[in-house]
Amino acid sequence: MSFLNMFGKDKEEPTATKADDRLALVLSYQRSDIDEKKLKEFRGRLIQLCDDFGYDVVGHIEVIPQSKERTTIINASIPVRLKEQMKEPI
Amino acid sequence: MRMSHRSVAIVVTSGKGGVGKSTTVASVGLGLAQLGHKVCLVDTDIGLRKLDLMLGLENRIVYDLVDVIEGVAKLRQALVRHKEYPDLALLPAAQTRYKEEVNPAQVKHVVDELRKEFHYILIDSPAGIEGGFRNAIAAADRAILVVNPEIPSVRDSDRVIGLLESASLTNIDLVVNRVQPGMVRDGDMLSVERVQNHLAINLLGIVPEDRRIIRSSNTGEPVILDNKSLAGKAFSNIARRLAGEDVPFLELEETTLITRIKRLFHIA
Repeated sequence: MSFLNMFGKDKEEPTATKADDRLALVLSYQRSDIDEKKLKEFRGRLIQLCDDFGYDVVGHIEVIPQSKERTTIINASIPVRLKEQMKEPI
Repeated sequence: MRMSHRSVAIVVTSGKGGVGKSTTVASVGLGLAQLGHKVCLVDTDIGLRKLDLMLGLENRIVYDLVDVIEGVAKLRQALVRHKEYPDLALLPAAQTRYKEEVNPAQVKHVVDELRKEFHYILIDSPAGIEGGFRNAIAAADRAILVVNPEIPSVRDSDRVIGLLESASLTNIDLVVNRVQPGMVRDGDMLSVERVQNHLAINLLGIVPEDRRIIRSSNTGEPVILDNKSLAGKAFSNIARRLAGEDVPFLELEETTLITRIKRLFHIA
C-alpha cells in the first residue's frame, strides 16, 4: 500500500457533500424568506399552540426549513407531554 | 424590416457575474446561425459591454442600443452583421452610458421590432438583479440560466429563478458551465445532477471547463468555431437542442487505459 502511496497524493476529505448540505440549507432559508427572527417568533407561536391544546413543551423546539424541488418544507420537532390535570380537592 | 415567422426571445442570465453568460450567448448564437437560423444577439449590459469582443466585432460598432432607444439611430443602422455568418447580427450595448438610462418598456419595444426579422433573439443580461436585469428580461419568452457548480452561483441562480417566475417567465432552462469532471469524480465539485436537483429546472446543457475559451476570447472567435474544444462542442449541442433536436449530453471525461491507470495510482 505504501508503494501505491508513492504515486499518490495525500488524500483530503471530499468537500462536495458539505457544499451540497450547505446549499440545501441556504436555499431553503432563501426560498421561504426565513431568518432567525422569524424562526424565533415561529417557535414562540408553537409553544402557545401546544399550550392551547393541553401540552407542555419539555425541551428545545427545532424548526428546520428544508427544500424539496422548489418547495420549502418546514419541519418542526416539538418535545411535549400532556399537562398534568389539576387534582380536585377531596 | 419585414414581418415573418414566429420568433423567440431568450434571455441568458445568472445573477452572479463571471459564470459565462456572454460566452454562452456568443457561441450558442453562432451555433443557431450555423444551423441556418436568423439570430440577433442583444447586449443589455449597458456600460460594460462584452459581446462585441466575444464576436470580434468591436471595431465595427457605430451605434448602440441606447442610440436606438433615444432615436439617434434606426435599428438597422445599429445592427452589426457578422462577416462570415451574415444571418448573425449584434445589437451592442452602449459602453459609456448607464443602465438606468433605459427602462424595460424601451428594451421590449426594440426586441419586438427585432422579432420581425430574426428567428432567435438572445438577450445577454448583466450580472445582478437590479435595473439592468429587469431591462433584459422584459421582452423574453424564455430564459437560460447559466450556473457554475459552486455554492454562490447556485444560490444566486435560485434567487434569479424566483424573480423570473414572479415576472411570469416560467420557461427556464439550465446550462451548467465550467464543469471539471475530475473534481466531480474526486468529490470536490458539485455534480451536474446535484445542481439540477437543487434548482429543479430543465437541463439544457453541460459545458466543461476549457482553457480554449480564453484563447477564443483573445481572438474574438467564439469557442464554438474551435473544433478542438469540448466546450465548443457542448455549445453546439445546446444550439441544436434549442432548435428542437434531441441531442445526448457529451461524455466529458475520456476513459482511456492511461487515465484508468493514472486513477489507480491517484495521479489523475
